[in-house]
Amino acid sequence: MTKPVNTPVNNLQKIRKSLSRRNRSEWLFRWYGRLAIFIGLVAVTVLFTDIVSKGHGAFRIAYLQLEVEYNRDLIGVDNLTDPEQLILGNWQAVPKQALRQQFPDVSGRSDKRKLYGLVSNGSGFDLKDRLLANPMLLGTRETVWVLADDDIDTYYKSWLDGEPYAARLSDKQVKWIGELHDQGKIRLQFNSNLFTRGDSREPEQAGIRGAVMGSLFTLLLTLMLSFPIGVAAAIYLEEFAPKNGWTDFIEVNINNLAAVPSIIFGLLGLAIFINFFHVPRSVPIVGGLVLTLMTLPTIIITSRAAIKSVPPSIREAALGMGASKYQMVLHHVLPLALPGMLTGAIIGMAQALGESAPLLMIGMVAFIVDIPGGFSDPATVLPVQIFLWADSPERAFIEKTSAAIMVLLSFLIVMNTSAVWLRKRLERRW
Amino acid sequence: MNAINPVMGAKAEVKQNLEVADNQVTVGSCFTEAPKMTMRNVNVFYDDKQAIHNVSVDIAKNEVIAMIGPSGCGKSTFLRSLNRMNDTVESCRVEGEICMDGENLYAPKLDVVELRARVGMVFQKPNPFPKSIYDNVAYGPKIHGLADTRVDLDEIVENSLRKASLWEEVKERLHQSGTGLSGGQQQRLCIARAIAVSPEVILMDEPCSALDPIATAKIEELIEELSQNFTIAIVTHSMQQAARVSHRTAYFHLGRLIEVNPTEQVFTMPEHELTEAYITGRFG
Repeated sequence: MTKPVNTPVNNLQKIRKSLSRRNRSEWLFRWYGRLAIFIGLVAVTVLFTDIVSKGHGAFRIAYLQLEVEYNRDLIGVDNLTDPEQLILGNWQAVPKQALRQQFPDVSGRSDKRKLYGLVSNGSGFDLKDRLLANPMLLGTRETVWVLADDDIDTYYKSWLDGEPYAARLSDKQVKWIGELHDQGKIRLQFNSNLFTRGDSREPEQAGIRGAVMGSLFTLLLTLMLSFPIGVAAAIYLEEFAPKNGWTDFIEVNINNLAAVPSIIFGLLGLAIFINFFHVPRSVPIVGGLVLTLMTLPTIIITSRAAIKSVPPSIREAALGMGASKYQMVLHHVLPLALPGMLTGAIIGMAQALGESAPLLMIGMVAFIVDIPGGFSDPATVLPVQIFLWADSPERAFIEKTSAAIMVLLSFLIVMNTSAVWLRKRLERRW
Repeated sequence: MNAINPVMGAKAEVKQNLEVADNQVTVGSCFTEAPKMTMRNVNVFYDDKQAIHNVSVDIAKNEVIAMIGPSGCGKSTFLRSLNRMNDTVESCRVEGEICMDGENLYAPKLDVVELRARVGMVFQKPNPFPKSIYDNVAYGPKIHGLADTRVDLDEIVENSLRKASLWEEVKERLHQSGTGLSGGQQQRLCIARAIAVSPEVILMDEPCSALDPIATAKIEELIEELSQNFTIAIVTHSMQQAARVSHRTAYFHLGRLIEVNPTEQVFTMPEHELTEAYITGRFG
C-alpha cells in the first residue's frame, strides 16, 4: 500500500475536515465559558436577593405616636442644667404615663407591664435628649413619635406583610397594636438608629455605628502600616536585593504567608501583641497590627507585579541619563507602578475589612455599646458585629444581621469599584 | 584618521568557514593620537560565556566611530561596557582596561552616576519617559543640578532641542507627553535628552533600527552636526549608515574586533577578508 501523497487537493480536504472539528471545540469552549459566568451570576443574585429580602426591613422601624407630658414632678427634674438631676430623673415615666392615658382601661400590674412593653425601654432617654435640645418643653405637653419595642416592630411588620408573627406578644398587646393602627398612631419610619448608634441588647436600639467606626480605625491603621512597609519591601526585593538563594527563600515565604489561615494571624497577634507587648485587647491598635500582618503578603505580591510590569527601557533610559538607582526607582518606576500598587492595596484592604476570624482571637468580639473615638478605645468591627448579631436570639436581629451584611457588602463594592476605576484612570501607555 | 600604528598585525589566517582563530589580532588603525577613550584587552563575559575577546581600540576626540558586524557579534555589548550599562546585567563581567581621558572607568572609586553624565546613551528603541517633552529634556540637568534657575533650565531645554533639530516641531507643545510624538521625533527627543547634560561622549545603540527612512535620514544628519561637539560611538546594522555618518569603522565578528580603519577604506578596500566578506554581503 502506498502512502497517500499530500497533494494540494487532498491537503485542502484535510484542512476542511479539521476545520469543522476546530470550530466545534471553539463553540463548545465558548459555551463552557458562558455557563461558568452564568453559574457565578446566579450565585451572586441568589445571595444578594436573599440578603436584601431579609435585611431591607431593618432600614424601617415602628414608631408609636404618644401624647407626652414633660411633667416636672413625674420625672423629678426641675433644673435641666443640673447633671445629678438628669441622671436620677425617672425618664421612662414619661412614655409610661402617656401610654396609660392612651389606654385608660388598662389596669392591674401584669397588664400595665405589657402596656409599657409597647415602647422601647430606651424611649424615655430619647425623650430626655429631645427635652435637653429644647428646654422650653419642660412642663408642657407634645405629640411625639417614640420608638416601639422590637417585638412590636417585628409583629407590626409581619402583620403588614399579611403573615402576623406574634410569638412573644400577648393577645392584649396584639389588640392594642390593632387599635393604634386604626387610629394611625403606629407607623414605620426610616431607622436612623441603625446608622447613629452602637450595639445594644435591645434590637430596636442597636446600630452599626460603633462597628463601622471600629472598622474605620482598624483599617486606617492597617493601611498606614501595610502600604508603606509592603511597598518598601517590594521595591527592595525587586530593584535592590541581589538575586540569590536568600531572596528566593524570602519570596517563597511571602507566598506562604499569603496562604496562612487568617485565624493563625489572630493567635500570633494574641501571643505577641497582647501577651508579650501588653497592648490592651479589643482595641483597633491590635486589630490593625494583626490585619497588617495579614495584608502585607498581598500588598508585597501585587506591588512586585506592578514593579515588574514597568518596561525595562524606562529603567535603562533613566540609568543612561546618570540617574542613581534610587532616583530611577523614585522618579520613574514608582510613579508607573503606583496604580498597580494602589489596586493591590485596595484589594488587600477589602480583604481586611471582611476579616473576622483573627479579630475574634484578640478580643474584638466583645459587646461594646460606646462608639469608639480613637485607636485605643475598645471596639468591634463590621464582620464581627454581623457574627454577634447572627448569634443573638432575638428575632429582630435577623433582619439587622442582613442589614449589616448589606452595609458591609456596599463598602466592599465601593472599594473594589474604586480599585477598577483607579487602574483604568491611572493606567499609562508607553 | 591619525593612525600611528597602522599595522597591528599582519593579515591573520582565517579559517574557510569564517570562524575566527583564538589568537586573532585586529588589523588596521586601532590607535589614534590624543584619544578620548582607550580600550585595552577588553574581555566581557556573561557568566562563563565570553562575549568579547581581547578588544583594544581607541576612540578619538570628536570622531564618529561606527561599529558594524553580524548579529550577535558583541558590538552592542562592547558599546554598553563603555558607560557601564552592563553593570545592570548581573551575570556580566568586564575585564581589561577602559579609560576616558586616562581615567579607568572600572576603577572601584569611580561613580557610575558621574560616568553616565559624561558618557550619554541613545538606545535602539526610542524610550522617552512618560512625561512631558520639557520634563524629558530637563530630567538630566535637574538630577545633576546643572541649572541654577528656571531660566537656565529653559535655556538648556531649548538649546538641546535645537541641537537635536526638534525645537521647531515641538516648541508649541513642550508640556505635552513625549510618548505622543512619532517614532523619529521620539528618538530625536532621546538625543536631546542625552545632550542636555553636555556629555563628552554619546553612545548610540542602533538608533535608527526602529525608524523609517525619512526619520533615519534626519537622525543621520543630526549625528553629523553633533560630531562637531561630541565624540560619538554608534552601533549599526546598516552598512550604508556606517558609510554615511562615520569617520572610522570597526568590524566585529563573533566577539572579536577584526578590523578598524577609516570608513572609506573599510568600504572600498578592506584589509581583512572577513570584513570584505561581510560588506560584500557574503554573510551577515
